[in-house]
Amino acid sequence: MSGKSSRNQKLIRAPSDLVSKLSQEAACQGKTLYSYVTEIFEQATRAYEMKRSLKEILDTFEILDVPKEAGTIYTPRDVLDYLIQKTYGENGEELQRMWYHAGKWYGTYLKEKFEQPFDSFLRLLREGRWDLNEVAVNKSNGRIVLKCVSALTPQERSLLLQNFIEGAAHSLGYKTQEKNCFKGIICLTLFKHELRQPEEDSV
Amino acid sequence: MKRKLLAARLDLADKISEISSRKGTLYDYVNDILEQAIRAEEIGLSLKTVLDDRWTVKAMKDAGFILVPEKLLYDLAEVAYKRVGREKTTMLWYETGQWYGHYYGDLRKFEAAIKNCFWDVSEFKILEEKETAVLTCLSSKFSATYTELFSKFLEGALNALGLSLSQCEVSKGIINLKFVKPLDK
Repeated sequence: MSGKSSRNQKLIRAPSDLVSKLSQEAACQGKTLYSYVTEIFEQATRAYEMKRSLKEILDTFEILDVPKEAGTIYTPRDVLDYLIQKTYGENGEELQRMWYHAGKWYGTYLKEKFEQPFDSFLRLLREGRWDLNEVAVNKSNGRIVLKCVSALTPQERSLLLQNFIEGAAHSLGYKTQEKNCFKGIICLTLFKHELRQPEEDSV
Repeated sequence: MKRKLLAARLDLADKISEISSRKGTLYDYVNDILEQAIRAEEIGLSLKTVLDDRWTVKAMKDAGFILVPEKLLYDLAEVAYKRVGREKTTMLWYETGQWYGHYYGDLRKFEAAIKNCFWDVSEFKILEEKETAVLTCLSSKFSATYTELFSKFLEGALNALGLSLSQCEVSKGIINLKFVKPLDK
């Protein structure tokens, strides 16, 4: 620790310019610097409990509203899996097409909203709401290998999610070179295709 | 670089110090925290607002909710309802609702979760009186089938919270459910 103050306080060293900025902000908000710093440290420890740094959380903040604005909603996972299980047998291909087109719409939306839409899409996949435990991206020689892992996801939902991701990637100017999907593990190899040919963007 | 001393609450200073010991130096860690706080203020937000939103995402994930394009969900529900039949499909939603009733374990927590995560619901409230609770849920997006299924989900949750359905009015996009509270023993 940097130093000791009264019984319930400690002194911590910080860059002078940051302390000045914080003092100004605290004054603007009608707070003391001490209470303002307390709030900031409370949030920093909260972020740590969420296994994230403040920087990571702020980096994803701009995408937090995307699911709401882009027409996606929450539903209980078990309900979704049941509905898919009961309809996939007879409507599997149609469902795949529907998810693909939903993905294309999603990608188009991201393209309108963000300067780096594909990166935003990856951040959205990573931030937790799509039930993915891991989203790994490997870029080399103009190719992107995207690996999404979600434990205990049934094959049907994995396939539908793969179609959704593919649809989004296609609308963002990528084409599929290779794809694999097995119970919660989705692997897509994509390459950038500057001039999109919509007729080739089929499932 | 010039440095200044900041007074911090003892327990928080200890916690920050403990976390920093796993990441590097205390000075660097505090520097990073303060930079992010200023960054948040510069985009017009407080760290608390940002963390609250992030917390909601985590809470929804922990509770087993998953994102799905809304049209696909409504269509799936429609097809499954026709294929599997009304009884089984409504039972699934009812039982899932029961699970969430037990999961949240409190009427107000359940209400807050619905308001937070079901943004296709435009109005949701549960008014409690001495012996009853009246639930109102409105959504212009729900189909007639989906409204019925969602009403069973809500009924299941409130049943699990100890309330018994006494009246229900369900039509496309409109759910009005009246519950009776258990008698105090």
